Amino acid sequence: MEENYKLAKWLNDEMTDKELIEFQSESDFHLYQKIKLYSSELEVPYFNEQQLFSKVMEVNKEIPEVIAIRPNWLMRIAAIVVIGLGLLYTYTTFLTTSEMAGNGKKTSFSLPDNSKVVLNSGSEIEYEKWNWDNNRNLNLSGEAYFKVAKGKKFQVITNLGKVTVLGTQFDVKARENRFDVTCYEGRVKVNHLHREIIITKGQSVSFSDGKLLYTENEIATKPNWTTNEVTFNQENLDQIVKELSRQYNIEIELKNAENNQLFTGTIPTNNLKEALQILSSSYHLKSKKISQQKIILELINDPK
Amino acid sequence: MENPENTGLCKESIFSDFFKKHAKSLRNHLLYKFGNQEQAEDLTQEAFIKLWQNCIDVPIEKAKSYIYTIATNSSLNSIVHEKVKLNYKNSYSHSDRSNESPEFILEEKQFKDKLLTAIDNLNEIQRVTFLMHRIDGKKYAEIAEELGISIKAVEKRIHLALVELRKEFEYFK
Repeated sequence: MEENYKLAKWLNDEMTDKELIEFQSESDFHLYQKIKLYSSELEVPYFNEQQLFSKVMEVNKEIPEVIAIRPNWLMRIAAIVVIGLGLLYTYTTFLTTSEMAGNGKKTSFSLPDNSKVVLNSGSEIEYEKWNWDNNRNLNLSGEAYFKVAKGKKFQVITNLGKVTVLGTQFDVKARENRFDVTCYEGRVKVNHLHREIIITKGQSVSFSDGKLLYTENEIATKPNWTTNEVTFNQENLDQIVKELSRQYNIEIELKNAENNQLFTGTIPTNNLKEALQILSSSYHLKSKKISQQKIILELINDPK
Repeated sequence: MENPENTGLCKESIFSDFFKKHAKSLRNHLLYKFGNQEQAEDLTQEAFIKLWQNCIDVPIEKAKSYIYTIATNSSLNSIVHEKVKLNYKNSYSHSDRSNESPEFILEEKQFKDKLLTAIDNLNEIQRVTFLMHRIDGKKYAEIAEELGISIKAVEKRIHLALVELRKEFEYFK
């Protein structure tokens, strides 16, 4: 399918005259025009290339020649002790590596085998760098998206269950009593309580309070919380409010709201007004901003 | 047999030329990606140091992809994304500035500030591609080659980026 990305053509001054006249008559043309104009006025901060080059060249490239020293038994023992202490220090200090994403943030990083991880807000991962290639296990609290390089068994352990894969892409969400795993590529084995389920590309499984909610087929190629949206499937209002608090790094308090109705839908994570509006209209709520850091959502009282 | 120490990147003049050609581009790329200026420079420095130390093993035609790979996979990458530091050039080239009302100037400033936020809110892929075109002035073909994607893919990212940016101005009047 030949897609015409007309805005890209326009930005590069590649539109035909006819296309251009047509575009100029559209109502939002002037907004695009401003974006084009001002974005071309942007510049990066100053970069001192010369200084950086000097720093690079300062690095000692010489491989020191090995010079045989007079054999001295005292020196040998001292050397062994120093190495021993060094190893002990390294082992204990770097035993566990942890990565986290605070509220309102996401963190992306690579594991030693080049597997990629993206952490959603309010999440943390712990793993051991040492011997990673033979022991690919990590502990997750919260939510993360994984792109696992081919290799030995890779396990994600959460307090709600375990996910085991070979080479693949998947998302694991473990929040309070809700456990969701979605597979975007390859195959993934999910362990939760006494259950074991294998899911493949395009499939998703969810548990809430120990109960299997559903399994379904997904169409997306990666979770949309990695771009500016988050999708919920049959989640209760309380969980949604908590996720939004993490995404926007702001306290949202629920008052008098009826928690029972489950929500399925997508909410933006870069537009707080719209996000609150969606929740308010779905749950018959009113939002009140108390301060920069806090919002209250409460049930609207219908005068009967 | 050619001694790589004399002809390849190990020769200081060759390395220096390579640096002059690619350092700024790499640093900008990292800045668009992660937002943190210090981190972008540290990663650039680390990548070039590794290249210098391993100059014997890296043929010059592989060097560019080498530094980009080192920089984007570095363990320093766990720093959380910050707002990308960009400035507007002080172009007073508009000669008839005196014709503009204070309201217009204020509106212009508000639009420009909002645009910076909007660019920062783009997903990383769109932001990097968009800024490579707008700030670095790279052509679509150049961007495609650097990112290892097709020109169509570049156009798609630019198109989607513009759509996203325009969305931020929904209520701007």
